[in-house]
Amino acid sequence: MKKVYITSALLSLLGLADALYLTIEHLTGQTVRCTILSGCSEVLSSRYAVVAGFPLAGIGAAAYFTVFSLATLALFGYRAAGTLLTPVLSAMFVVSIWLVYLQAFVIRQFCQYCLFSAAITSALLLIVVIGRFVLKPASV
Amino acid sequence: MKRILPFIIILVVLGLALGSAWYLTRSTPATPAAVAGPPASASSGSQASTGQQAAVNPGAAGVPGAEPAHTRGPANAPVHIEEFGDFECPPCGLFHPVLEQMEAEFGDKIQVTFREFPLVPTHQHALAAASAAEAAGLQGKFWEMHKLLYDRQNSWKGQFDVRPVFEGYAREIGLDVDRYNRDTGSDLVQQRIFQDGKRGHSLGVKGTPTVFMNGREVPFEQLPAEQFRVVIQKELQAKK
Repeated sequence: MKKVYITSALLSLLGLADALYLTIEHLTGQTVRCTILSGCSEVLSSRYAVVAGFPLAGIGAAAYFTVFSLATLALFGYRAAGTLLTPVLSAMFVVSIWLVYLQAFVIRQFCQYCLFSAAITSALLLIVVIGRFVLKPASV
Repeated sequence: MKRILPFIIILVVLGLALGSAWYLTRSTPATPAAVAGPPASASSGSQASTGQQAAVNPGAAGVPGAEPAHTRGPANAPVHIEEFGDFECPPCGLFHPVLEQMEAEFGDKIQVTFREFPLVPTHQHALAAASAAEAAGLQGKFWEMHKLLYDRQNSWKGQFDVRPVFEGYAREIGLDVDRYNRDTGSDLVQQRIFQDGKRGHSLGVKGTPTVFMNGREVPFEQLPAEQFRVVIQKELQAKK
């Protein structure tokens, strides 16, 4: 399981960097501007980009930081942290699916940073599920 | 030590994340003016520019845009505002009434130039809207079409085919519709849009609305009416 936790921690750092970047862009007003490269402005200035007054990207950054913390703790033998990883990542995955749906069918614009985040979350869940339910018996 | 090491790692990552976020949110607004060149003289290169279309006060450096530019306000106005806009862009639609309000408040102290910067393919109708405005411009009614396109942005941007909508606007503002239809696809109109885009790229414009005031880019977060008014007032004071 060590490799699973190390990979999860590293991947969650990538997700954290992505979400932090979007949060900063949101807070400085940069993403609200329409740009040549992507539909990020449409996605990030939509009403779905803010939840109860908080930028969704900031909530995403907190979620990735949680995953990083859990993976790090699990790596150092805190078993409860390893157990918590699966439900946390499952919740993040469900939210990611919902956000991709909103981009595709409601806002009709895609933001590459949001898609990257969805890909990271999916990869994290896949790795943890494989590690926990497929590889674990062999590695214990 | 092994028991507390993960907490140290977590705290270090947290510190780095918060520190970088704090640093970047502080430093980002301070730098947007970097893309613009040095301010140019308010009167350089200008001709009489109080009409619908006139030679533009060049303001920011960079390659020239379409000439004559769509400009309103006196050529000798102390504040020259050059906007790069996209008619389908929601923030541009929000900035449009702000600019109208500023023109009403400051009168002949400001001169405004609009530059086409349709974000293709992000906005599917942006090029058609820019063409409609430019075609109207060829009949001396650019600003009338400009106003309709922004005022009614929400009603046309979700449509599948906007051509009949824009044709209706052309009729509403009294254009020769046959000529308008010929002009929308003409080389002249496409060339004007291309020239404005080229100027935007030469100034480092990457999104819309991007606004230059006397050659310096106005940070995006200063475009709401309250902040933009202060920016104009400061510019006027500096010109005294």
